[in-house]
Amino acid sequence: MNNQPAPQRLLSWFNPLGRNPGSWAFILNRLTGLGLTMYLFLHLMVLGRLAQGPEAYEEFLALTKSPLIKLGELLVIGAVIYHGLNGLRVVLTSFGLGVRRQVQMFYLSVLLALVGTAIFAFRMFAG
Amino acid sequence: MSKPHVVIIGAGFTGVAIAHDLALRGCEVTVIERGDICNGTSGRTHGLLHSGGRYAVKDKESAIECIEENKILRRIVPQVIEPNGGLFIALDDSDLSYAEQFIAGCEECGIPLEELTPQQALKIEPNLNPRLLSAFLIPDGTFDPLRLALAFAATAKHNGARFRTYAEVEGLLLDGQGNVTGVRILDRTTNERLELHAEVVVNATGAWAGKITAMAGLDAPVRPTPGIMVAYDQRLIQRAVNRLNEPGDGDIVLPQRRMVVVGTTSFDAENVDYIPVVEEQVKLMLERGSQLIPAIRNAQPRGIYMASRPLVGSGSGRSMARTFKCFDHKETHNIEGLVTITGGKATTMRMMAEKTADVVCAKLGISTPCTTRDIPLLSYRQYYTVPNQEKHYA
Amino acid sequence: MPEQWTVTLRIYRQKTNEPSRYDTFTLEVNPDEYILDAIERVWAFHDRSLCFRHACHHSTCGACGMRVNGVEKLTCITTIRSVARPNAVLTIEPLRNFPIISDLVVDMGELYRKMEAVEARAVLPITEAEIEKPPHQWKTEDSQYVRLSDCLECGLCISACPVAATSQPYLGPAPLAAAQDHRLDRRPDLLTLIDSEHGVWRCHSAFECTAVCPSFVDPGRRIMDLRKQTISAKIRHFFGK
Ligand SMILES: Cc1cc2nc3c(=O)[nH]c(=O)nc-3n(C[C@H](O)[C@H](O)[C@H](O)COP(=O)(O)OP(=O)(O)OC[C@H]3O[C@@H](n4cnc5c(N)ncnc54)[C@H](O)[C@@H]3O)c2cc1C
Ligand code: SF4
Ligand code: FES
Repeated sequence: MNNQPAPQRLLSWFNPLGRNPGSWAFILNRLTGLGLTMYLFLHLMVLGRLAQGPEAYEEFLALTKSPLIKLGELLVIGAVIYHGLNGLRVVLTSFGLGVRRQVQMFYLSVLLALVGTAIFAFRMFAG
Repeated sequence: MSKPHVVIIGAGFTGVAIAHDLALRGCEVTVIERGDICNGTSGRTHGLLHSGGRYAVKDKESAIECIEENKILRRIVPQVIEPNGGLFIALDDSDLSYAEQFIAGCEECGIPLEELTPQQALKIEPNLNPRLLSAFLIPDGTFDPLRLALAFAATAKHNGARFRTYAEVEGLLLDGQGNVTGVRILDRTTNERLELHAEVVVNATGAWAGKITAMAGLDAPVRPTPGIMVAYDQRLIQRAVNRLNEPGDGDIVLPQRRMVVVGTTSFDAENVDYIPVVEEQVKLMLERGSQLIPAIRNAQPRGIYMASRPLVGSGSGRSMARTFKCFDHKETHNIEGLVTITGGKATTMRMMAEKTADVVCAKLGISTPCTTRDIPLLSYRQYYTVPNQEKHYA
Repeated sequence: MPEQWTVTLRIYRQKTNEPSRYDTFTLEVNPDEYILDAIERVWAFHDRSLCFRHACHHSTCGACGMRVNGVEKLTCITTIRSVARPNAVLTIEPLRNFPIISDLVVDMGELYRKMEAVEARAVLPITEAEIEKPPHQWKTEDSQYVRLSDCLECGLCISACPVAATSQPYLGPAPLAAAQDHRLDRRPDLLTLIDSEHGVWRCHSAFECTAVCPSFVDPGRRIMDLRKQTISAKIRHFFGK
């Protein structure tokens, strides 16, 4: 609990028990941050395939058509929007702007991220 | 050359002040406390830095002690005190007729006093009962109980005293003649038992003093007399407000942070480890408190608590003197090695410690005089930041 | 007759060199009692080995902070009614992000060191103390009166802070709030500490400190204001003022 090793303390970042919206903002921010970092690595690895010749790349492009990957892409889009907007929220509050509205700003970030993802989803699947 | 070892039982106001005094006089000091600092009565004190006005008519000895110590504490621990003064206000004819004795008593005891018209009083404290008839300004104050004790403990620790908190004294070590040579303690953080030898054991356990003396087969004339306090969630006044009359129930209202605290009562109790809150007394505090400050009726209770005075002597409740007694059990019972100090008030903690340390030093042949009245105390936070000196159990 | 409830306290226990565990105690309570009263009764009548810290019982000393069902509470002013229903189980644990001394008692030395480092004010002029509805308009002569500051140094904010959980040197909410109260234009010497790696920029806007603070400090808002102060101080510095 307190003298516990670092990994468990890291987990306490993601423990929402008894916590407030501000913590959800923090948790989502950490999750999307970690997710996007991982995505960046994946992205670089895929780009690295270009160097291995056209076959390898074509094979990969085929893979991207699978619905699972598409879902993953949507997640990335949602994460980018949320992480960016929450970043703005943090910047604004740092300048003393909207500190008393920080919870509403968090809800707005989530809402916009969902709306944004929905638009992309619509274009991806229906368009 | 090794310093004489003194064990102090209890880290309430009395215990920490004695630790501070004895550390300065060159003793090796260990304080044993079963909880943390201010676990007992001291933490739950009302928090009035008495000017002595309350006792100026009936208990002049206490009143004089209070005004002297009030001035000293303001000087040595300003960090824990709201030094904003206090008012005694008269609300009816009986209060008004008390005024004469009050003025005379204050003068006799050297308590500075300024009479205000009701208009002047309402100007500085707009939330007073507007029907007040007269008011007197006196140098009361309020203090934060825990931090007052911590400041003494921090300074004592800095000067070498050791604090063993969460350690309960379970028995006294006795030699063949019944003299006290140390204590048996239970470390409550490890469940280990150990013995600690000492040249002198000081029993500073307040309302529990009789429990310790009983371990040596002695009795102590301590009468636990609890009282209630109710904290309300609005800071309606900036200084202490007292009813101008003989001490009674619920006749003091104090500001504390963003609260006001109304107190108190006085009754007898047997078991003081847990004193239940009595509903009727809560109502009484509201009733009496709102006579002084009517707006209390619009505030909400934020904390309700009980604490037990360690009064000494015979008589009961309000009529008992509020002064303190220090017993050298060599003189009272021909038992060497044990000194009991009890009674008194937070306001007089330093003086109680001085008197007790005088007794202890006389027993140990130490002639260094007391210097605590002139030494400013360290920041209370240093109690937590200064480490205990390396453990050494003689 | 006051209302009677039965509640079960599930209390975290830890003695040096022993594994931790939870002990349960079922008590008859008055729902308007404070949680600290119930805990003190457990010690007085059920288990004398229970260690907990308390002193003032009216939210002025900051000794009684614990986690009740995972949320930081000042147990001396938290009524049982406000957190439970009849027959409920209340889990009582020590504050997080501090080393445990025993059971519910933690070592808050680190917080006090940091409060000393920023020289947090223990008393301040009443005219500067923020009171939402002042009893009357302050007059100039009132500035001679002082009062104890709002922060009780109870550590609830540190326990609730997700950044403090993984970064022990982070100054944390209460010390940063105390620095904000000084104002950097009055105390430019604090800038180095506040603007350091473990200072004001470390906060990541979870605002948990403000949510749990029992004493009107609103550390979250104060940290944000301190950032503003820091930027102005640096701008002033840049122009050599
Ligand atoms: C209702 C009320 C209001 C008051 N208001 C004021 C006021 O406004 N102003 C003022 O100046 N004074 C006031 N007082 C008086 C003042 O609070 C007390 O005189 C003072 O706190 C007594 O301190 P103490 O150190 O002697 O006792 P305590 O604070 O009770 O200290 C004794 C300590 O001994 C410990 N102990 C007991 N047994 C053992 C054991 N076996 N082993 C180890 N440790 C043990 C206890 O845990 C406790 O911490 C008030 C008192 C009461 C009851
Ligand atoms: S800021 Fe609030 S929560 Fe933090 S220590 Fe101070 S009073 Fe406690
Ligand atoms: S006991 Fe002092 S704040 Fe709770």
